[in-house]
Amino acid sequence: MQVAQSRARVHATEVIDRREPAGGVVVIGLRASALAAATRPGQYVMAVPAAGETPAVALGIYEAEEERVSLLFFIAGKRTRELAMLRPGDALSLLGPLGNGFDLRASDRDVGIVAGGVGIASVLLPALELLRQGARVRLFYGARTAALLVERERFERAGCETILTTDDGTAGSRGFVTEALANAQMPKLLLACGPTPMLRSTAEIALRHDVRAQLALEENFACGVGGCWGCVVPITGASAQAPPFPPTPNGVVYARICREGPVFRADELRW
Amino acid sequence: MVERGVDLGVDIGGLRLRYPTLMGSGCYGSGEEFAAFADLSKVGGIVLKSVTRLPRSGNPMPRLVNTSAGLLNAIGLQNPGIDWYLEHEVEKFAQRPCKIVGSVAGFSVADYAYVCERLAARLEIAAIELNISCPNVASEGETFACDPRLTAEVVRAARGVTKKTLIVKLSPNVTDIAAVAREAEAAGADALAVINTVRGMGIDVERWRPRLGNVAGGLSGPAIRPIAVLAVYEVARAVAIPIVGQGGIETLSDALEFFLAGASAVGIGTANFTDPRIPERIADGLAEYLAKRGLRSISEIVGKANLGFASAHEYEGDAG
Repeated sequence: MQVAQSRARVHATEVIDRREPAGGVVVIGLRASALAAATRPGQYVMAVPAAGETPAVALGIYEAEEERVSLLFFIAGKRTRELAMLRPGDALSLLGPLGNGFDLRASDRDVGIVAGGVGIASVLLPALELLRQGARVRLFYGARTAALLVERERFERAGCETILTTDDGTAGSRGFVTEALANAQMPKLLLACGPTPMLRSTAEIALRHDVRAQLALEENFACGVGGCWGCVVPITGASAQAPPFPPTPNGVVYARICREGPVFRADELRW
Repeated sequence: MVERGVDLGVDIGGLRLRYPTLMGSGCYGSGEEFAAFADLSKVGGIVLKSVTRLPRSGNPMPRLVNTSAGLLNAIGLQNPGIDWYLEHEVEKFAQRPCKIVGSVAGFSVADYAYVCERLAARLEIAAIELNISCPNVASEGETFACDPRLTAEVVRAARGVTKKTLIVKLSPNVTDIAAVAREAEAAGADALAVINTVRGMGIDVERWRPRLGNVAGGLSGPAIRPIAVLAVYEVARAVAIPIVGQGGIETLSDALEFFLAGASAVGIGTANFTDPRIPERIADGLAEYLAKRGLRSISEIVGKANLGFASAHEYEGDAG
């Protein structure tokens, strides 16, 4: 766990492109050079709605290059439905980049990335960074059905090996992505983003094989910046004994997913 | 602060604010979290997250549920306890360009007095808010605000240990908020914050379970604004001390409702999660609103909606 100095700002951005890689899945590209420059892999933004009718929503930063940032999201509620209506030329305020991001080192030569569902949005940037460093990157990618394995070609084009799974067997092997991971030759480092059960299994596999793992947790944020303590996860070890965490009577220390995270090491989570 | 010939400054029971806005307790961390992207020199003050005598881990997850036009929360007063707080946190507040109000929560009268005395002794803390109305703790967090006699006891105890401005935060989860307000005033409160969150619950219909780890939570956001406006209106008629009106304020028009109902300043909480620039926008909008009407200060609109009633007898406080 590393707590980064916040470089977050409110960025006034403009939608420059939009596509739907699958039904209910949207990628919007935004002109946001300052945000792109400040973004590290695994960080996210809070998308601030123009009308002020709905709360801001946290979205992983999918791409960040030169003047363009893109966001990939699944339409899952009122807020994402509103975002899905944005078209090129529309304005969107983004607060970010937020969160600590993944801790990537040049020494990481053999990396497995585990992604499920919308978690794919947060793992392209670390994959690209690792590939640039010359690492072998395997993407273990699971979805409900083949059509929802969005953007897999993007990862393949970049040089990732992909290991696919679907719940219904329409692509890759049938079953959970973590089953595919458990059956594979173990990477030296695991990065994961996806639903909590997937992250838990990934953590178990990592701990069993004594492999380092960094998990990007998904949670419902209210403020997204550490102000409300609404998104927490119990942690343990050295991180739990340093400020801002005092010793607590029952030994449980809740860290803010939005602030101390969203990326945590598997061995510091106590779930 | 004078803008467009309008003085936006207010005096809340001795606490002088350059802007009539306070960032709601529990919504704004220690200010540091927002400092990178919100202009803290354009807000009146920040009410810090409540601190208790001993450290508290807070409630299990989930702690938040989005609702229609609102947010249910049950954080459970997670805080490091007053010892750690004084040692590691308080000195940071000296850097803030706005007023810092400490918030005290507790489980006994003695707790309140103890934490209040230690916190108020620090120069960085300009005033104290007594959180006697947290609905999200298993034991008697809110009991104080729901019982006029206990309210009076807590306020008297806190009054006995500090001369700094004491703001007492009232709960809407009572039958007669005006009665509680009167007791708080009589016991020595300098100002009242009206209101804290409204008790609520959400249920996951797929899993047949409460949505919040704590089952019950506090509802904030636009959904509670009319409740809050009426509470301010009723409290303003019952007491002479200033009121910080709060509950679902997102726009200038929302804030104006509270001033007209009788608030001298407004608290902004949940709206900061929608857009952290809202407090600044409200301040700018207020200056323009007042200037356009040839008014020179906030005080000229405070409580003016009360003029609709010639005397207290015409308004019985009963919607029926």
